[in-house]
Amino acid sequence: MARRVAVHLLILGLGLGVFRIAVVPAEVCPVVTTAQVNEAIDEAAAWLLRGLGEDGRYVYGYDRDADQVSRDYNGTRHAGVTMALYQYAAAGGRPEVVAATDRGLAFMLDRLLSEGDWQAWQSPGEEVQLGSNALLLAALAMRRQATGDPGYDDVMRGVGRFLLAQQQPDGRMHGYWNPATRQAVPVQGKFATGEAAWALALLADAFPGEGWGEASLPTLDYLALQRDRDMGFLTRMPDHWAAYALAELGPGHLDEVRSGYSRRLAGYFGVRLRFEAQRRGSGLNLLVRWVPGTPAGVGTAGEGIAAIRRLAQEDERLADLVPNVEDRLACFAGMMVERQSTAGEAAAYPRPGLVQGAWFYRGYVQMDDVQHVLSGLLAAVPVIEAREVAG
Amino acid sequence: MTVALLVIAYLAALNVARTRLGLPEAEGGRARPLVLAGGSLLALGLVAALAGWSGPLLRVLQITPETFRIAAGVAAMLAGAYVLVTPRPAAEPVPAGGWAMLWPICVPLLAGPEVMALAVATGSGEGVPATLAGGGSALAALFLLGLVPRRPVADRVLLWASRCLGLLLLLVGVWLAIDGIRDV
Repeated sequence: MARRVAVHLLILGLGLGVFRIAVVPAEVCPVVTTAQVNEAIDEAAAWLLRGLGEDGRYVYGYDRDADQVSRDYNGTRHAGVTMALYQYAAAGGRPEVVAATDRGLAFMLDRLLSEGDWQAWQSPGEEVQLGSNALLLAALAMRRQATGDPGYDDVMRGVGRFLLAQQQPDGRMHGYWNPATRQAVPVQGKFATGEAAWALALLADAFPGEGWGEASLPTLDYLALQRDRDMGFLTRMPDHWAAYALAELGPGHLDEVRSGYSRRLAGYFGVRLRFEAQRRGSGLNLLVRWVPGTPAGVGTAGEGIAAIRRLAQEDERLADLVPNVEDRLACFAGMMVERQSTAGEAAAYPRPGLVQGAWFYRGYVQMDDVQHVLSGLLAAVPVIEAREVAG
Repeated sequence: MTVALLVIAYLAALNVARTRLGLPEAEGGRARPLVLAGGSLLALGLVAALAGWSGPLLRVLQITPETFRIAAGVAAMLAGAYVLVTPRPAAEPVPAGGWAMLWPICVPLLAGPEVMALAVATGSGEGVPATLAGGGSALAALFLLGLVPRRPVADRVLLWASRCLGLLLLLVGVWLAIDGIRDV
């Protein structure tokens, strides 16, 4: 009988070991202070600003091992980075950041074109894109929050009208406008629809009573109910832009569909961050969890869960989400502070200025990697501060 | 998970039909009642301990309750699939006297890995009272089934019931895993 007991115990022990390694590796969430998070934020913004040229373009990407600066460029990412820098300026009242980022803004405003009553910018070599214009609008809204300057209000409304021109009766958004045919191209961008919903919600905040918030609702409902099916996604897309839009519109616009969508989004971001916390990128863990995820991917999960936190704090129907959402956000902050390239690490590379303050994925950083983590960390600061106060 | 669903989950995890097939029996084909009651109480105590200490246990292991739910789901799916293939438990040697309540009743018949994982998952999710209600009800059902003489209850019926509960456990596992993935 002792032999049978030993066999059972051995199988149980082996099973537990396999489970620990393959199914539930430890979720490691480094505890960080507000000062550490703020320092990481400053370093990230500094990386973006060091990459901002006199022509208003940012460094698109950098391979630290090959010492190669990417020659690619992308208008939507340009607008996103500009928006994140204004977010950074708005959070800390940094006029010098606004002044520098205005060069990135001018890159877009210099390329504005008009058609009928709307305005939109066209990135060199690209069509007129819904996403890049939605993020231009978001950047202008953040700049307005940072400075109180109404100087670009007319541009904001003009770009808002471009978004409405792309919007269809069921809420979907055409992703492109072709200047040659002067027609909208009936193709959806993966993230552009969510970006447009958020931009319209930001317009509603800037110009209440003009109907922008109401205009964003059909698109939000389309995202909640139909978009993933229409685009042929096998799983629901964790759209952090939609989360931003829901948070911006607030509980007043949260019906059953949007409330349920907010809850689903919280789940997508939550499991993404829990999974990320299991990744070490070495040893047996590498085989079962692969390397830590792209900073842009982790960053968007941080941004998304932070937006849901904002909403859940204001809406009783989602209040039960707050504790877990805050745990995931704190975990996100801890992971990303720890993963950021330090000055010491940067010194070992040919161009330390393109390394320090960035987050790399297998040796490569792209502008949106830094952008998304920066935005996520900015949103995580209140949670880290509150935890510090609570001890 | 409601208490009713918890009862179903524990009925499937403890697989009362399969367990009945492996119980040490007295003359007349009935399970030895004192030994069965003792083994069931030991198993319930283990479930209560795991559920009660699920919070500290998961903290030490650095696993969020939501992620552990996925693991419990995987354990339940594997156990359910195993039962579908082998609906009858292996014949274990039975020690003399009361030791039988510990081996083979409590371990390995009742307190299998899927039951232990479920106890931690529901202890941290639904709470200890609900977990005890689910586990206790399933064990009470087992006790009643143990009092029925084996001969009238054809083994074939028990084997099919065992398979059905294995399938149910598989479904419980899928549900738990999805719940853990969808949770924040």
